[in-house]
Amino acid sequence: MSASAEATRLLPRPMLVTLTVLLCAMVLVPVSYIVLASLNSDVGVASGEFWPSSFSLESYTKIWTTADLSTGIVNSLIVCACTAVASALLGTTTAYVLVRYSFLGRLTILRGLVGLQSIPGTLMLLPVFVLFSSAGNYLGLTVIGTRWGLFVAYLTFALPFSTWVMVTYLRGLPRELEEAARTEGASTLVILWRIVFPLSLPAIVVSGIFAFLLGWNDVLFASVLTRPETHTAAVALQIFGTSQEGGALPVYSQMMAAALICAMPVVLLYLTFQRYLVGGLTAGGVK
Amino acid sequence: MTTLTRPEQKAPAAPRRRRGVTQQQRPLWLLTPGGVLLVLVVLIPLALAVYLSLLDLDQYTLRRWIEAPFIGLGNYVESLDSGLLHSIWISVSFSVLSTAVTVPIGIAAALVTQNAYRGRGLVRAAFLIPYVLPSFVVASVWRTMLQPDGVVNAWLAKAGVDGGLWLSGSKSYWTLVLVEIWAAWPFIYLMALAALQSVDHEVHEASAVDGATWWPKLRRVILPYLRGPVLLACLLATLNHINNFTLPFVLFGAPAPDDVNVMPMLVYVTSFQGLRFGLSAAMAVVSLILIAIPLYVYLRAVRLDVHEEGGRK
Repeated sequence: MSASAEATRLLPRPMLVTLTVLLCAMVLVPVSYIVLASLNSDVGVASGEFWPSSFSLESYTKIWTTADLSTGIVNSLIVCACTAVASALLGTTTAYVLVRYSFLGRLTILRGLVGLQSIPGTLMLLPVFVLFSSAGNYLGLTVIGTRWGLFVAYLTFALPFSTWVMVTYLRGLPRELEEAARTEGASTLVILWRIVFPLSLPAIVVSGIFAFLLGWNDVLFASVLTRPETHTAAVALQIFGTSQEGGALPVYSQMMAAALICAMPVVLLYLTFQRYLVGGLTAGGVK
Repeated sequence: MTTLTRPEQKAPAAPRRRRGVTQQQRPLWLLTPGGVLLVLVVLIPLALAVYLSLLDLDQYTLRRWIEAPFIGLGNYVESLDSGLLHSIWISVSFSVLSTAVTVPIGIAAALVTQNAYRGRGLVRAAFLIPYVLPSFVVASVWRTMLQPDGVVNAWLAKAGVDGGLWLSGSKSYWTLVLVEIWAAWPFIYLMALAALQSVDHEVHEASAVDGATWWPKLRRVILPYLRGPVLLACLLATLNHINNFTLPFVLFGAPAPDDVNVMPMLVYVTSFQGLRFGLSAAMAVVSLILIAIPLYVYLRAVRLDVHEEGGRK
């Protein structure tokens, strides 16, 4: 090891190794349990096996008929993708004005964007639920149980969050290009479309992904605002989990397979965009 | 608040030109689509939540909530008798405890991945797994592992310990804390790692020249760098713990055992199982007041504005 690397080392080697092994074990033992249990038989998991007595991929084929997971995944994909696109695009426009121009109330809006991310979800869900359920009475619309309703409900969290992610990015973007374009006579819309959007594409993608994940990971809104045919993946898994207890034979192996399937899109997104997402995590400061 | 340490000599030329642009052609209309939507989906519901907490709203009056009887602070008074104080206590102790345990774990993880070695990329990726997995997946998995006949009790039995029930009774509180810690420590790790990487190389070299051994160096030189960012992370983490609904809901189901009846669960059960919407709105407003204190401190500390650069480290 070189001298400079030696200088930055913070812990003595034995301690470093011990801590690394401990931390990795803490993470990897439960994670490998998910994989092993999904390859096990339902009986094996129910009797508390860690290492399967027999390996099979059966759970991954059975799960699609046992639980209504495919409907859930399709619904989740549709609703979350719409949320992601809408909040990333609207968020970028709003953030651009917030970063580049000063006006009365701007700081309040910025503060609000950060503050809104820590509002309890239950506080937002209640009025949304009341408004949606009375929409049938006052407006003649059915909102509860539709994908549209869920989409609007997710915007309450995704929109402020995406806007904030874009604010943190755009304020690091040099304004010289925009000013040059402005002296050439370009209008704000042209500048936004031709300069700001292309330059901040990675950030727009990240804010969209975060909006997507907010929806994908949500159980609270979806458990109240959906019917069986509009259930999201998260609700499908949660209901599947609760239905296991008290039954004749719990199908825990299939449940672990379902859990892995539900985690897969998220893991894939992270692996693909790891560099950007981790930066965004610490910038936005919110999961 | 806006201009704290802008260099004096640059002040005349640059800002005036900029102000010229911003004053004349501020395209504030661009705020309309996002702004209108924000007002519609965020501000109106928030205001409505406060108004609902003053109504006697249940399943009978729900569909015509505008005509529901106004009962002032009645819901707030009633919520005191409906387990609100118990839930506040559970929520606060659970959140503070979880944060307190995740901080040393997160810092330790940042310290061991600071130096490059073969395989560090893999270790870092592994550390992110609990954070990347959706909460409902984490909760489902732990719920399975902690079943009375599950793998945890099977292992404990091998060690001669009777695990007993994890998902109900008095032990459920500790189950909730443990799973939350398992899922949440990588957040502290990420924030600590970012702070650690901003420490200049000279600092390391200077303390190496001084011949400082690892512990004094860590305590007196490195950890002070981490204090600010980690404190900020603590605030945010505590807020996230208080607001966490998914974990207790999926782990224990609704209604939750009394020992894990955290605020979000109480509000959820009161509204969507008890169908007392006014009462639960009052409880939700109280939980907002509860998080207002850490939230206020956080908002003061976080960098909001482009012009604040240099004003805050």
